[in-house]
Amino acid sequence: MTALPLAHAGHWLASLLYVAPVALIVGALLWQSWRDKRRRAVEPPATPEPRPGR
Amino acid sequence: MSRVLVAPPIAHGLVGRTDLPIPAWLFGWGAAVVLVVSFVALAVLWPRPRLERAPERRVLQVPAWLEVPCGVIGVALFALVVYAGLEGTQVDTANLAPTFIYVLFWVGLLPLQVLLGDVFALFNPWRAVGRAAGWVSRRMAGDGVPEPMPYPDWLGRWPAAIGILCFAWLELVSTSRSDPSTLAVLALAYAAVQLIGMSLYGVRAWERRGDAFAVYFELFARLSPLRWERGTLYVRPPLAGVTSLTPVPGTVALLCVMIGSTTFDGFSNGPVWSDIAPELASVITDLGVGQATALQIAFTIGLLAVVGAVALLYRLGAAGMRTVAPEHETGELARRFVHTLTPIALAYLVAHYFSLLAFQGQALGYLASNPLGRTLAEGDTGWLGTADWGIDYTWVGAEAIWYVQVGALVAGHVAGLVLAHDRALSVFDRAREATRSQYWMLVVMVAFTSLGLWLLSAQ
Repeated sequence: MTALPLAHAGHWLASLLYVAPVALIVGALLWQSWRDKRRRAVEPPATPEPRPGR
Repeated sequence: MSRVLVAPPIAHGLVGRTDLPIPAWLFGWGAAVVLVVSFVALAVLWPRPRLERAPERRVLQVPAWLEVPCGVIGVALFALVVYAGLEGTQVDTANLAPTFIYVLFWVGLLPLQVLLGDVFALFNPWRAVGRAAGWVSRRMAGDGVPEPMPYPDWLGRWPAAIGILCFAWLELVSTSRSDPSTLAVLALAYAAVQLIGMSLYGVRAWERRGDAFAVYFELFARLSPLRWERGTLYVRPPLAGVTSLTPVPGTVALLCVMIGSTTFDGFSNGPVWSDIAPELASVITDLGVGQATALQIAFTIGLLAVVGAVALLYRLGAAGMRTVAPEHETGELARRFVHTLTPIALAYLVAHYFSLLAFQGQALGYLASNPLGRTLAEGDTGWLGTADWGIDYTWVGAEAIWYVQVGALVAGHVAGLVLAHDRALSVFDRAREATRSQYWMLVVMVAFTSLGLWLLSAQ
């Protein structure tokens, strides 16, 4: 059983071409999510606008 | 299913596909691009829900009594298939039962359901017998007929999910899958279960939730622009009907079984499973199980694992939505968006079985004249004069089949995206939030498309 994936590596490698679009989109989403988190951490929290008359 | 009646390469119509202008995997990339572009277009051009509660228009009224002859035809066909299975030849390709059940019934009815609405309900033999029995008992006993029990909420569509899983097991795992007499006995057993269910919970309630095939066909009929209700025909926007699918318990499981079983059919014909199955079977054989049983156990494990993988993938998409709306539970989101899997299930079925229908469907020509597969005398062309018909394997080419498969997969997943976007606009307060919630559903759709194309290309 353990030698199986290596013995038929050709099948698995060719299949990776079909995974690539999914991996690309997942990568883009994770990167965007990381960027959003980083921006929130760097930027100071928005102060509320002072109400008129105060 | 392809193993049942014809050799896999012919069944999936992939012979000679090497003439394609680009490699098969590039179609997967192209399909992913189409889905991403569709997603962006929906975000920009579809700011309000349009399919939820879409209006429908009454267009036609047909006499209610027409349901009676339709039901009689359904019962007669059921009786013919059972009779052929029990009394006819046990050569699967010469007997009507396997081709009728696996090709005409399971696959061939789908285009009618999607185009014309729930046609199967009219011809459903179990429903017809159940209604006839109810009518007779009311006439004989009057008010003395006890009311059916209320259908339990917790049961939901679980009987249908289990029924479809059992059918998939028979079709993809069982060594008796194409044995006509076995199919006939199982058809009778299935009918008996339906009649018991209808007698307990009423015809309508059981048909809507428990009758696996009625539920399966009704799901696809929801994609249709036509809806039949008590002899009245209504027109509605395509896809709108599926938005009213009630996500009762078992609905997510049912859709995952439908997609997972088709996926496993493709997967089990590919090289990866060809590598895994014998190894897995040998491990089971080492436990003291016979070879044939071990192979069936290995295929059962494979079927359940693929259904589980599909369920997990969908669950991940639902969990991804929670990143935008943590106040919603993952299970709740999975149920609220489950209808989006219906066009995907259809796409998988069309992609996998189009060639089976195109080729093996022609066998119904000669089987209709000789359903029992008896040896006919010289010059005898059977009941309808078509017993000497054959199958033309050249009427549609391998390339055309491939394009139908790719087209079906892409169209089905775009439809899934449309439904998910439309539902998100109802669930979430702002359009921007709705779009962001669907990022992970886009991943799920691209994953299902890539998986479908990989399975088809690997056979």
